[in-house]
Amino acid sequence: MDNSHDSAVTDNRSEILTWLSPLEPHLRHNDIRTTRVKDVGDWLLYTEEFRSWRNGGGQGESQKATMFCSGNLGVGKTYIR
Amino acid sequence: MSFLTIYDCSSLVIDTLCDEPGEGGEDNVVACFYFDSAAQKEQSAMSVLGALLKQVVGSLEKIPKEITEAFRRHKKFIGGRELQLSEIVKMLGSLSSTQPTFLCLDALDECAAPDQAKVLLSLRDIIKISPTTRVFLTGRPYVGDEVEKHFIEGTALLSISPPNDDIIRYIKTRIAESTSSGEMGVKLEAEIVEKIPETASEM
Repeated sequence: MDNSHDSAVTDNRSEILTWLSPLEPHLRHNDIRTTRVKDVGDWLLYTEEFRSWRNGGGQGESQKATMFCSGNLGVGKTYIR
Repeated sequence: MSFLTIYDCSSLVIDTLCDEPGEGGEDNVVACFYFDSAAQKEQSAMSVLGALLKQVVGSLEKIPKEITEAFRRHKKFIGGRELQLSEIVKMLGSLSSTQPTFLCLDALDECAAPDQAKVLLSLRDIIKISPTTRVFLTGRPYVGDEVEKHFIEGTALLSISPPNDDIIRYIKTRIAESTSSGEMGVKLEAEIVEKIPETASEM
């Protein structure tokens, strides 16, 4: 959020952001999050893998910086629609 | 909507990271990208990384000097020049080293192969500059090898196979949302709820 009342600064800010990228990934994120079913998938947040990946960054140790979650597609579209 | 686009776990993780501060109590900076095989043209490595940089910069109260200077420099060219991938990587690395930063990319398998490799290399370079940056990726299992190849310090791997409870809760909610009462018989609903977890567990 830009609290600036100086419109020139505000314009410049949005111009710079658009120059960095015209894409708006957060819009897609908002679409997806509103259709998410409550509590589904929460178990992932409690796994050791997720917790140590998430908290590893603060300690500056050589922890795994990357996490990859894999799964197969296929149930949703075919069966539900 | 794809149920197992890793059943929306990216959006769940992104929201959790946004809502809950890290151990140090600081707010997390979270940037995301959702790949879509139908939109590969606008998903070059440069535009993906550019979109991540935009979100990181957008979270800051003030645009860093190095970005405004680059903007001015590039604007001098006719039509305005874009940032190069290497410049984007450098900026992302330097900005994310100053605050807890999470870069989340969903459905990596939907990114075209040459760009996929470039995206992974770029993420690796960002982690090199800023080892505290966390990268969260999802995709079909076969891209796992590609991911592991790029991150020498190792990758935390998690295979997502939704527990039946989750599947049933999901299906019931979707049915309730998408049909008005009476449109779908109770019997049919029961049949779907019974069959889908069985099929899913065979995948």
